[in-house]
Amino acid sequence: MRRLGELEAEIMDCLWTWGRPATVREIVDDINLRRPSAYTTVMTVATILYDKGWLTRRKQGQAWLYTPVRSREAYSAALMEDALGASRDRSAALVHFVERMTDEEVAALREALRATGRDGEL
Amino acid sequence: MNAAPFFLGYAAAVGGLAPRLVLRSSWPQRSPLLAVAVWFALAASFSLCVALAALHLATPGAHLHGVLYSCRVAVGLEAPSTDGLLPALGGAVALVVVVGHLTAFALHAGRAYAARARHRDVLDKVGRASACSRATVLEHAEPAAYCLPGRAPRIVVSSGAVGLLSAEELSAVVEHERAHIHGRHHLVLAAAAAFARVFPRLPLARHLQEQVPLLLEMAADDRVLRRCSRGALAAAMFTLASGEAPRGALAAGGQTALVRLKRVLAPAHDAHPVVRWAAGTGALATFVLPLLLTCHAGLG
Repeated sequence: MRRLGELEAEIMDCLWTWGRPATVREIVDDINLRRPSAYTTVMTVATILYDKGWLTRRKQGQAWLYTPVRSREAYSAALMEDALGASRDRSAALVHFVERMTDEEVAALREALRATGRDGEL
Repeated sequence: MNAAPFFLGYAAAVGGLAPRLVLRSSWPQRSPLLAVAVWFALAASFSLCVALAALHLATPGAHLHGVLYSCRVAVGLEAPSTDGLLPALGGAVALVVVVGHLTAFALHAGRAYAARARHRDVLDKVGRASACSRATVLEHAEPAAYCLPGRAPRIVVSSGAVGLLSAEELSAVVEHERAHIHGRHHLVLAAAAAFARVFPRLPLARHLQEQVPLLLEMAADDRVLRRCSRGALAAAMFTLASGEAPRGALAAGGQTALVRLKRVLAPAHDAHPVVRWAAGTGALATFVLPLLLTCHAGLG
């Protein structure tokens, strides 16, 4: 039994990769190429994603056609904003590799690198 | 004799003078984790003195049987020996100091935990596992890297960063974030934030909250250097710090990057054992001294 989150990620990945609306059947068939999965399970998780606001859907004949609400890039940009934005609490929630710098600070940084003769390595 | 003025004076020295002493010395940059411990020893010492001063102020001339008594009063096991409003007030102040720290820490840690859980929920759908599967790659042109510490940690790098960094530089970035996660640095940051919340405007609190994050970055850098070259770490730092800056985050303290970079490029040995010993002992003494004073005041 896979975790709910993993199946959610798999469904979103399918839809983002295809870049078009798809039915649960299509998604199940795609997942089945890699491992067996039950139609009802995928349908349930797709409904959960719809309820959470990740997917929209419209009827096509008997089946629902699912579409992601936002692109993968849009979510990525929102995450980056959350991680690197100027919110006050972020320091404890998300630990950066390095802070962003102004042009003058970058110049000082480059100067520090040059002073030690490592500039050529960059 | 009432010991309250001693404690207040002591607290003033620890809260105002001691930070300047630490800031002026060079050993913190050479032994960053020891420096973090020293900052927190000063913070603990200050809190203790404030609590003790409140207790002594509230029970003038009473027998204060040292720490034990103070602690018992603080946790409410024993009522202060004189009746009236003043002792109750002193006990309350001491209690507020203790409870305030715990509450501020819990609030900060709880909020950060919730923020991370929300972030991780989206990340797990949007991100892709990197080739070495030690990090999650986010589709984003801007070069950046960060981590979600705590339980179920994640290390995140943008595809822009993956494109700009060499394999060795990327592994230096991942190693740096792993150091944060393994060292549980987010809890240390929460403790620093809690102290600053309880004593806002206090120089010690201001410097502590400024210095501890920088020192933790240095400690993480040191761990990277055990496995990666100085050149790789410095290059990665430069690439990510100079990356296309998002609006609003432009002025976000790039000075720390410069300090870190200079430190990474100029190899320095750990602080001399004698210096480390002196700093550690000094910090411990600032904490223990008020406790001894309490005993003395109790006897006197």
